[in-house]
Amino acid sequence: MLRLVSRPSSTGRLGKVVCSGAPHGGRRSIASTSARQADITLTVDGKEVTVPKVRSALIQACEAAGATIPRFCYHDRLAIAGNCRMCLVEVERSPKPVASCAMPAMPGSKVFTNTPLVHEAREGVMEFLLANHPLDCPICDQGGECDLQDQSMRYGSDRTRFHEITGKRAVENKDLGPLVKTSMNRCIQCTRCVRFANEVAGVEELGTTGRGNDLQIGMYVEKTMDSELSGNIIDLCPVGALTSKPYALHARPWELKNTESIDVMDAVGSNIRVDSRGVQVMRIQPRTNDEVNEEWITRRPFVAASWEEALQTIADGIASSGATGNEIQAVAGHLADTESLVALKDLINRLGSDNLALDQINGSAPPLHGVDVRSNYLFNSTIPGVEEADAILLVGTNPRHEAAVLNSRIRKSWLHTSLEVGLIGERTDTAYGYDYLGADSKALADFIAGKGAFAAKFKAAKRPLIIVGSALAEQPDGAAAYNALAKFVEKNKDSLITPEWNGFSVLHRIASRPAAYEIGFVPSKKAASTQPKFIYLLNADEVDPKSIPANAFVVYQGHHGDLGASLADVCLPAAAYTEKAMTWVNTEGRSQVGRAAVPPPGASREDWKIIRALSEVLGSPLPYDDVLSLRDRMWDISPTLVRYDVVERTSPEVAVAGLQTIAANTVSAKVSGKPFLKPISNFYQTDPISRASVTMAQCTRAFVKGEDYGFGEKGSEAAYA
Amino acid sequence: MSLLRSSKQAIFRWPLPACPTYTRRFSAETHNQPVRTGDAPQKETAQIAEVADTDVLTAEVISGAPVELRHRMVRIYQPARNTMQSGAGKSERWRIDWDVLLGAGRWENPLMGWASSADYMQGTRMSFRSKEDAMHFAEKQGWNYYVQPPPTKKIPPKNYSENFVYRPNTLRIMRTK
Repeated sequence: MLRLVSRPSSTGRLGKVVCSGAPHGGRRSIASTSARQADITLTVDGKEVTVPKVRSALIQACEAAGATIPRFCYHDRLAIAGNCRMCLVEVERSPKPVASCAMPAMPGSKVFTNTPLVHEAREGVMEFLLANHPLDCPICDQGGECDLQDQSMRYGSDRTRFHEITGKRAVENKDLGPLVKTSMNRCIQCTRCVRFANEVAGVEELGTTGRGNDLQIGMYVEKTMDSELSGNIIDLCPVGALTSKPYALHARPWELKNTESIDVMDAVGSNIRVDSRGVQVMRIQPRTNDEVNEEWITRRPFVAASWEEALQTIADGIASSGATGNEIQAVAGHLADTESLVALKDLINRLGSDNLALDQINGSAPPLHGVDVRSNYLFNSTIPGVEEADAILLVGTNPRHEAAVLNSRIRKSWLHTSLEVGLIGERTDTAYGYDYLGADSKALADFIAGKGAFAAKFKAAKRPLIIVGSALAEQPDGAAAYNALAKFVEKNKDSLITPEWNGFSVLHRIASRPAAYEIGFVPSKKAASTQPKFIYLLNADEVDPKSIPANAFVVYQGHHGDLGASLADVCLPAAAYTEKAMTWVNTEGRSQVGRAAVPPPGASREDWKIIRALSEVLGSPLPYDDVLSLRDRMWDISPTLVRYDVVERTSPEVAVAGLQTIAANTVSAKVSGKPFLKPISNFYQTDPISRASVTMAQCTRAFVKGEDYGFGEKGSEAAYA
Repeated sequence: MSLLRSSKQAIFRWPLPACPTYTRRFSAETHNQPVRTGDAPQKETAQIAEVADTDVLTAEVISGAPVELRHRMVRIYQPARNTMQSGAGKSERWRIDWDVLLGAGRWENPLMGWASSADYMQGTRMSFRSKEDAMHFAEKQGWNYYVQPPPTKKIPPKNYSENFVYRPNTLRIMRTK
């Protein structure tokens, strides 16, 4: 349609040079280097646009000018491939249309994105792409959100010139595991998935074989793609070649209601979009946020009692168990939101108890790092700040499983800069190379003493970073390690703690933990040694059954009814994270507010409301009736809890003082020589939601145990011609 | 109540000079969410100017809209770009919509299995050209609102020649493309 409108007024046809006759501003300079400038200015469709000089592609300049450039292979967060040729534009005095993704933006050039030449070029490209693309949009899962479908509405021909007797190219489907469904006939070989696997996920097995028409995407040998980020290739695929297996043929995009929320599967606080239909959550999509998760998420798909009596039973339970003071214990689990933590802490404190435990090993003791100084337990360098580091020491952590999105940032930095990484702890595949220093406190002592090549590199680094895993505090030698690290950081504060940089970062793996520390949800020393008689499990599903005294009255509040529920005398049904609009604090201390996508089923309620109701039955009602006054209370506790989306830094002086308190608290720690173990052995089932998921059970079988997960298309040997 | 007051300031900063004809009612009984504008003014309460409590008729008074609507906060935000597609259309708009009603706001119809809802706002969402337009509309209607700041976008440096840059150290990436 567009072509008909624009053709008469122009002479431009493919192969002809369109020259609008703009003079070339004087003589060309002979010098090979011009004066270095920060920005360059060029003209796109008659509109002047200024872009940074350093490494700007022409397509970015066009976008900045508001021109829409169709593309398949170009992606903002992947290396440029330049192989789909869809982004062709016309550049003045260029003999041919130019692929705008592979062309750097040049100062003073005149670019046209909407001329007959451009249209004809793109139509040609589209015709070739469609020559071998099946016409199965009605049964394709990508239908409705397919780049090829959309762009063919504009650039596709309405009739075919394809008359091959042999028919369209047929490609065998690949088995990429329980998350990704393949339909390789639809592949247009944009290689986004390959580049993602190469660069972001660090899976170099996914690649291409063959040339031209015979090019195929695959794993070379028959195996599944083992990466915690593999689900992202579903979003990257511009056509329906890679689609989601759990979501396959469940819904169309136009039926879905999107709600923007926060992921709670790890402590990164990835921004997500929850797509729901009716009362069901259908899928989880990433949401772009450069500050947190860029555009990736760890894909773990979601699978989807009278109140007065229950609350009265609890009140009676407290009375009959005879629990007073510190004998009343509350345990905060992995998926407890900040509001409910605040309400529960207030309630327990009102009952005269300080016994606030966390659902982890050593969780019922006061934490080693204390909670008085924020920088002692937060990821101080911030997540985008990881890319600035030039030497990283990982202590007792495997970021690939504890915060996969953060790990991809380390990999990105490792690929593009001369970043050096060292690891103390259990050996693991991190998707980037590292110097292995050892598994225990001795390796840490050697590093601190400056022995080894990595210690020297770390010393020379301008922005060194120590990432301490949250599991370090749970290790037998955790206290000693904290002591050594705190002293080391304090000693090297010139490079590690400066006004611009804080190189001591604790990486949490549990969504609720930073918030719990922030509000001081930790026991006092005296309370920690008290035997509880009444235990309130708030979403706590990891508790060791042996740690619960036999005569204790146990209340469980949660949503998936996992281990915690089986221990309980009373179960209170609460809302899952997609069912409540709550505050989450991520490992950087960034508070973000989630959003309810679907209402909670049946009688279940938001967690804090349950606790508020219980407080009334117990005779000491909490002084907030709605979520806004509860957030006022949170403001009183710590203003950062309601300053959404920003990270507040700790000043260097306070950070150093915090480290001194760590060193003082752990001064008597003994070294036992036991190795630091990683906390997550099965990445795919770390919480009650993923344990209830069939898909995650299949992932566990396929990736962790290496079994056949039961859904692979066996018998179809991948034939790479 | 420091939070509430600073939020008031955050809201009032904008509308007064631009739209002198109306004022948002903020009496003690109306609660509102912390509104974050770009630079989050979280100063001492002493510096906050008291806002004149003039009575301006909001639409809800005569529009016949149910009273319950006044108690539901709307969210004003820029919807994120769909990661499934490369197009950025509609991502510049600002949207107003409502949080879902908790407690039986939605159920599966026993006859057909379709989703039923008691929430008359569940299907409503409105698009505006700018944040100010959306806030203006919400204020005219008498709705409490929460403005979610859009995430800062970074434009990553891109260059085709990056693929072929020589790196002196050990090879860190194997390209299988």
